[in-house]
Amino acid sequence: MIRAVSRASVVVCTLLAAACGTNPTQQVSPAVYSPAHRTAADAAREFFNIRSKAEQPIPFPHKTHIAKKAVCTDCHESVEKGPIAGIPSVKTCMICHSQIATDKPLIKEVTAYADKGVEIPWQRVYGFTHESHVRFNHAPHIRAKVDCAACHGDLAQQTVAERSVDHTMGFCVNCHTAKKAPNDCLTCHY
Amino acid sequence: MSRWGLVIDLDRCTGCQACVVACKHENNLPFSTPETADVGRLMTWIQLVAADLPGRPMPSSLPLMCQQCDRPPCTDVCPTSATYLNPEGIVAQIYPRCIGCRYCTNACPYAVKIFNWTEPEWPESMAGMRNPDVSARPKGVVEKCTFCHHRLIAARERARVAGRELAPEDYVPACVQICPAEAMTFGDLSDPHSDVAALASGPRAFRWMEELGTQPKVVYLREGE
Repeated sequence: MIRAVSRASVVVCTLLAAACGTNPTQQVSPAVYSPAHRTAADAAREFFNIRSKAEQPIPFPHKTHIAKKAVCTDCHESVEKGPIAGIPSVKTCMICHSQIATDKPLIKEVTAYADKGVEIPWQRVYGFTHESHVRFNHAPHIRAKVDCAACHGDLAQQTVAERSVDHTMGFCVNCHTAKKAPNDCLTCHY
Repeated sequence: MSRWGLVIDLDRCTGCQACVVACKHENNLPFSTPETADVGRLMTWIQLVAADLPGRPMPSSLPLMCQQCDRPPCTDVCPTSATYLNPEGIVAQIYPRCIGCRYCTNACPYAVKIFNWTEPEWPESMAGMRNPDVSARPKGVVEKCTFCHHRLIAARERARVAGRELAPEDYVPACVQICPAEAMTFGDLSDPHSDVAALASGPRAFRWMEELGTQPKVVYLREGE
């Protein structure tokens, strides 16, 4: 109930802020709405957790690859080594697809990218906003035997990867508390 | 649990300000102009201040950064817990939590917490030279020296990958690393065998404005003794 009231009050404040912004006599155009949000709309979107869906240039089917016994680290190679798991290069696709299923229309698209020597413009599915100042390192989580699915959902059931798990601070903190990992703010925010 | 501390030997310090430059570069501090400095909005986490020390005929130049107090006045007044004393004794500043009220900048007796009056800007030629390990602070938040905490996180991760304990030489802030006069010593005050612990309990050690009871973890060593 309190949550609903607070959300409603935020909506009212947002509308008020938006109304002020449209006032033609007011020449002040604030570059930032708050330290964390550039505009009032950005703040409202983050509050209600509305994020644009990643549109992939090629609908990559995770399900098909996992069914054929491919594992995450085959393509997301740097996940065990450092902060970024890595979106695979088109060259990684061609290791297999120069031989396998070359006649399928989607694979022909992949081959076309490889022939042109350009990377496929994959869109990021997860990731934190710049304003949240969150720094995440994959490697220590893999060492701590956190399953990929814990944060990314069961990709074996997904075709194109979707944001199936909400990476809120509560989500991170709950797991850190349960596993007795550091919960100091400076661990992630710097 | 470590308790990080810094010892600055004023007898060795030449006032060259290499630490100031190193800090600005390491922590992505934007440039300031004489005009911004004139109105007290100089963006720097460490600066040399003229300090009248007992027994010295001339004011000494004192490299002054966040003193990482054990009883920090700034954390007491923060309404959002954006600044707090972390378990390792570093006074943290969490930018997404900071609402920019500037209570802490006023509470700090050392005046080493600075407020971002503008969005940070760099010349275009410096676009690729910024440190990716440190976030740029947006307009409207307070920032301060963190003892280069990002270096601690990186060092700890390297040590874990190598399967060993964190060694004293793994983690030093940028100012300590650059100091050409080797006036600065950094380390774990809770380790009785560390250099900082020995120097901090030596006869020349004093803490700046220690009469305020802030219990700083930056320790200065007197000159001329």
